[in-house]
Amino acid sequence: MTSIYTPTADEVKQRLRPFGLFFEKSLKDLIKGIRSHSKTPEQLCDFLTNVLSECREEVKNSDFNLKTNAILKLIYLEMYGFDMSWANFHVLEVMSSNKFQHKRVGYLAASQSFHKDSDILMLATNLLKKDLKYNVNNDTVRIGIALSGLSTIVTPELAHDICEDLFLMLSSSKPYIRKKAVTALFKVFLQYPEALRDNFDNFISRLEDDDLSVVSATVSVICELSKHNPHPFVQLSPILYQMLIKVDNNWVIIRLLKLFTNLSQVEPKLRVKILPNVLELMDSTSAISVVYESINCIVKGNMLESDDYDTAVACLDKLHDFCTSNDPNLRYISCALFYKIGKINTDFISNFDSLIIKLLQDVDVSIRSKTLELLEGIIDDDNIIDVVQILLKQLVDVDKIKIYEQEFNIEIPDTYKSKMIHTICKITAMNNYANIGDFKWYCILLFDLCVVSQDIHDKTLDPKLGEQIRNLMIKVPDMRIQTMDQIVKLMGKCDLIKQLPGVLKESLWSIGEYSSLLDDSKDFMHLLIQNTKYYNSAVQQIALPAILKIYSNWCNQSGGFDLEEVKTMTQELIVFMEFFITSKEFEVQERASEEFEFLRLCLDSLNEENCDSLPLLISEVLPSFFKLFELQPIIGGTQRKLQSNVDMDWNKPFLTEQELEEMMVVEDTYEDTPSEDNSENENEEFQSGIDANYDIAYKYESNMTTEEQEAIQERRRQERVENPFYLQDEEDPVKQQQSLLELSDRNASESKTSIVKLSTNSKLKGKRRKFKVRVISDAIIVGGSQDQEESSEHSERQSLSSSTHNVITLQTKNKLGSFDFSRLEDYKKESEAKGDIQKLRDKFARLELEGQRAEEPVEEVIVIKKKKKKSSKKSKDPSKIKKKKDSTNFDLN
Amino acid sequence: MSKIKYLLLLSRQGKVRLIRWYRSYDQREKALILREITTTVLSRKPRMCNILEYQDHKIVYKRYASLFFICGISPEDNELLTLEIIHRFVESMDRYFGNVCELDIIFNFSRAYNILDELIMCDGAFVESSKTSILTSMAIMDSVESNDSLEKVLS
Repeated sequence: MTSIYTPTADEVKQRLRPFGLFFEKSLKDLIKGIRSHSKTPEQLCDFLTNVLSECREEVKNSDFNLKTNAILKLIYLEMYGFDMSWANFHVLEVMSSNKFQHKRVGYLAASQSFHKDSDILMLATNLLKKDLKYNVNNDTVRIGIALSGLSTIVTPELAHDICEDLFLMLSSSKPYIRKKAVTALFKVFLQYPEALRDNFDNFISRLEDDDLSVVSATVSVICELSKHNPHPFVQLSPILYQMLIKVDNNWVIIRLLKLFTNLSQVEPKLRVKILPNVLELMDSTSAISVVYESINCIVKGNMLESDDYDTAVACLDKLHDFCTSNDPNLRYISCALFYKIGKINTDFISNFDSLIIKLLQDVDVSIRSKTLELLEGIIDDDNIIDVVQILLKQLVDVDKIKIYEQEFNIEIPDTYKSKMIHTICKITAMNNYANIGDFKWYCILLFDLCVVSQDIHDKTLDPKLGEQIRNLMIKVPDMRIQTMDQIVKLMGKCDLIKQLPGVLKESLWSIGEYSSLLDDSKDFMHLLIQNTKYYNSAVQQIALPAILKIYSNWCNQSGGFDLEEVKTMTQELIVFMEFFITSKEFEVQERASEEFEFLRLCLDSLNEENCDSLPLLISEVLPSFFKLFELQPIIGGTQRKLQSNVDMDWNKPFLTEQELEEMMVVEDTYEDTPSEDNSENENEEFQSGIDANYDIAYKYESNMTTEEQEAIQERRRQERVENPFYLQDEEDPVKQQQSLLELSDRNASESKTSIVKLSTNSKLKGKRRKFKVRVISDAIIVGGSQDQEESSEHSERQSLSSSTHNVITLQTKNKLGSFDFSRLEDYKKESEAKGDIQKLRDKFARLELEGQRAEEPVEEVIVIKKKKKKSSKKSKDPSKIKKKKDSTNFDLN
Repeated sequence: MSKIKYLLLLSRQGKVRLIRWYRSYDQREKALILREITTTVLSRKPRMCNILEYQDHKIVYKRYASLFFICGISPEDNELLTLEIIHRFVESMDRYFGNVCELDIIFNFSRAYNILDELIMCDGAFVESSKTSILTSMAIMDSVESNDSLEKVLS
């Protein structure tokens, strides 16, 4: 028998809902469903999209239980990577419910998904205001939850509106509320710093609260705020100092230490007062995290001065215990701290070499990697070979280590290997090879590293190694022959060298530059002719000049040369160069064409020449391309330094009129003289190609009397002094030029050294070296030491700016960092300025209205014109004031 | 104090169990961080230390049973303290659920978040160090909630 009224399924569901029973999927069903559908990814995907579309319907339902349930499911699904920001409005609805259960879920969802959605934040502002005003005594939890929610979604407007309520809550009878209010105030202060300035004392009084959790929260807030702007809190140091002595809660102590770290960065006087306490604390405490924080405080709070050995020893003793502990975390953090202490003064850590060497063989690769950074500080010429040996042994895929008779296999990742090779390069080349006792060993080491690094996929490695080889070649003249041997050997291994373009490039350059040391130049040229086309273009552009250099040396090496052989070689090279003239790479093309043309000229003169000797073009001109000066290492950043000093008058012609005339005369005489001697003429021509200006002047000078010459020299010297593109030195640059080219009677050695001030002093103690080796240190031109500082400063600045950039992108904006607390007056000025802007705006608005009224009868075009003018003026003026305001702001900071 | 950028709980299979971002990252950054952290942390060997450097910050993680608790913290933060915070979190959950296991956290994830909110406040800048006070406030909230639902049924 059926009743007349049979409720439908939907109606039954509706009726049961008030009892908390509903038939849509609960969270439990969802979780179980995910588990049962996770056999294949497709199945799971289907299930999840299904659930998601169900949720989309459910959140729209007017029943709050259902809505809340759907939101809860969405929070869960968010963990699976489903965006839930589309439901933000519904979250807001749930938040506004009177039921605590709903509110709780709502606030949870809000803190998960309201981050950047400005529309919803605006709506949430009103809701939060309402929730926080609701101040009945038994509603502690509601306010608590609203306060927690507030801390995630505070905006400047909200901060402004809400701060009064929060300050009222600071005097609430419940510690729970006080604590939460203090916490929420942190976010408010970040957005609205005026609140802190105006209520500073009220807020600070919470440091003396009866409840420890409130005190702790207050200290935390001050600590965090001091990270952004430590200045206003320096005055609190006496209270905080008392707390540091009295409080025995480690959490609070750590926060206090952090706070002092921040404060003493801006107030160096604190060091004297705090340091003894921190040291005492470090000794007395049993909590390792407090010890760690104490050391952190000393190191980061600038309390460790570079000559304060006692403090350093106290810290390092503790760190030593960390290093030898069984806990890998302690070993890791101690490495980081060692590094920081070593940065203050490397002497501090130089005694810990055996410990650090032990850490290099740690079970944990990340500790090893951290230790690599420390090596710089402990390396000296006694232990370098051992350390490098230890490191080289780790260049395997799996390292075996024995701990307590147990063997462990440790996989060595490529990143560690490449970091290691970089470190080896760094520590060996450090301070102009100060640590290298045996350069033969070093040379072989470099080439071993080349062989090893071919298996490591790191693009930065081979340029680094190439650089080391090149530096060794330039800076250590006594090792050149041996290094050359190694390079030639390396070049023989074709498949190896192809994987290391960076090494190849620098090797080729070295071979070219020092080709006089090459034994079998001819074979080598043949090798290059064969292989160069397989190299990449960056290498090719180095290879082409290198070949020419080898050719130059080979031709001129020893007197009795077979002209025919030279001829065939030249022909081969011409064919070779011709191939590269069509290269896609501009740089290669350019060099190839230059050399191609030059070699053709050489060949012509070889064919014309009937005597036994080489033509002047090859014997004189070609070497003069490369051999005029010996290359010397110059300290990094010189170029920039010179460029920064450039002070050019762009309107001033390069040549004075007189000079121009002189030049014309020279050219005339030059063209007039019939050239009988072909080769010499060519010689001249090429010389002029090298240094046209000088050459012409040189020719001209030879026709002049000495007085005239001196007068010209004097004038030229003057010009050069003014001209920033000439290196200036205490020695007269003209003299050098002359002495080098003219080979005059002037003391050649004197002028040679003066061209760039080369300090060839090897400050290394010869007695320690097994082989006495001369190392050329980097030349310094024009205040070079400054320059180095500058360059390092520059890079520092760069890194700094990049880090601040990161901070900006990562952190939500806050205004506290740039806010000044102390000067109320200025603030007033600022607000006055703001008022002024408002006045101006009003005025302009009025004017505009009047103008409109006045000009109504006039043609429309003019009105528009006027309007535009005014609006532009209007927009201009406030911006001016704003600028002014900004600048005052800036002054404050 | 410890400034936490994000906290996440990963199962050994790499499933996310809890996740809380204390900084605003966009969806793509989140996915990238999640993917990279999952692979690096899960591949760590037991004898390795619990701290690693990632991007411009540090990651501190600790494994409890089948769950990895992972925190991203800023470089100047105290790693040991972060480990301590993680431990507090685990202890609090253990007390609250009574011998907590992964399933408790999965099914009552909103409670786990609530505990986390009591422990870490305001972008991970503050930590309530007392377990008892965390548990008391949790208990109060739960009772308020059950009162609410009781009233709802009665009305």
